[in-house]
Amino acid sequence: MYDKKVVRRRRAVLGVLVALSIALLTIYFGESASGGLHDFSRGAQAAFSPLEKGVSLAFKPIRNFANWTGDVFHAKKENKELKKEVQQLRGQVAQNQTAQRDAAQLGALLNIPGRGAFMTGYTPVTARVIERSPTVWYSSWVINKGSNDGIRVNEPVIAAGGLAGKISSTTGGTARVTLITDESSSVSAEVMPDGSAGLVEPQVGNPDDLLLDFVQKDANIQPHQTVLTSGFTSGRGDSLFPRSIPIGTVKRVDPSEVALYQHVHIQPYVDFRKVDYVQVMTGREAEQRAQVAP
Amino acid sequence: MIVTPSAIVRLVLITIFTVVIETAGVSGVRVLGGNADLIPLVVGAVALWSGCIAGAAVGFASGLLLDMLLGQQVGASSLVLTPIGYMVGRYGEQNEPSHGLLPIPVAAATTTVSLAGMAIVSFLLAFDAHLSIYAFRDMFVTILLNSALALPMFWLIRRILRPVLKVDPVRRKRRASPIESGPIGLRGLEV
Repeated sequence: MYDKKVVRRRRAVLGVLVALSIALLTIYFGESASGGLHDFSRGAQAAFSPLEKGVSLAFKPIRNFANWTGDVFHAKKENKELKKEVQQLRGQVAQNQTAQRDAAQLGALLNIPGRGAFMTGYTPVTARVIERSPTVWYSSWVINKGSNDGIRVNEPVIAAGGLAGKISSTTGGTARVTLITDESSSVSAEVMPDGSAGLVEPQVGNPDDLLLDFVQKDANIQPHQTVLTSGFTSGRGDSLFPRSIPIGTVKRVDPSEVALYQHVHIQPYVDFRKVDYVQVMTGREAEQRAQVAP
Repeated sequence: MIVTPSAIVRLVLITIFTVVIETAGVSGVRVLGGNADLIPLVVGAVALWSGCIAGAAVGFASGLLLDMLLGQQVGASSLVLTPIGYMVGRYGEQNEPSHGLLPIPVAAATTTVSLAGMAIVSFLLAFDAHLSIYAFRDMFVTILLNSALALPMFWLIRRILRPVLKVDPVRRKRRASPIESGPIGLRGLEV
């Protein structure tokens, strides 16, 4: 065991050092920045600065290595976070672009020239294209509205730009649209403004080119003239479309010396490869449609 | 510890080099978002091997030097490190610090008490800011790093101080193996 003298001495040392610490702290707080203890502190800093510089220099490689290692881990973590953020932003961009595209198409659907005239008496049912023909024929679509929504067979279908096709079959929740580019399609049409009539038929495999056939040879057809549905029925294709739905614009005319009719090439207004939304013109019976001729 | 000029020089050099290396070198080495704090580690090591008076003295001196070099409130670190050195020294004097892994809990304890003590002193003095949760993370990392460094640092300090210690605390344990005795417990009657 320690004797009392030793115990007293070590307690005294502790007491003195703690008291000295408190005293230094008190003095340091009490004096101004130019006080003695502050000066002494600055002197110590100046005296030790060469040693500190040397140590700092010696530790530089270690510091760099540790910081580099830390940076690598940090960069990995940051990379992971940024990848996650990029994924989220990509999703948002895709959503925004889809919304923008949808809005543009729906806007275009509502702004088809002459819509007021040909839509009279119809109730439009807007539907989304959920299935497309995967072949080059681009002949049919399936839309997400069907007989439960009031859609019936043979009702006309319009898309952004103009006429797209007609309903060929329905189920409760879906309907199949046969496009005017389908090989079975035939639409009676007239070229504006002189009203030369003919039948619009597809050029199979090229949805950007329709053919207006059976146009009288003496009719004066020029490029950029507008082609609209005529509202007539043809013997071949049961064209039940109401009058004046835009179909396309004249691209060129193939004159033929021997044929009785002109072949007029039409650029359709509808881009059949990019349509997402359509409107089905519902609410009129076929007989009534045939009679529409304002 | 035998108080000789050699012992005092060793303690002074340990103190100076520890503080300078800590402030100029180790404090800039960031590992896992924190850094090691050699000062409580060395104070603990000196105290454990040399006793409470040397521990308190080194704690006081290293705290004073640290405050002066960093331009902090002079005396604040001393106020924390002096009792740490004293308490670890008393622990070493009352218990034989011979276990090989003892430095690890001692280092963890001294670092924890030092960090907590500095936090308390800072709050009592003039702390007027919001404390971030990251401060606690840094403290935790410091405790971990100091615990990892404990064995080599304590070994190094013991090597430096061994010539001036009265008894090497680790060797004290390694006593000679007892002499074998015979079946009836008397030496010289081995079968």
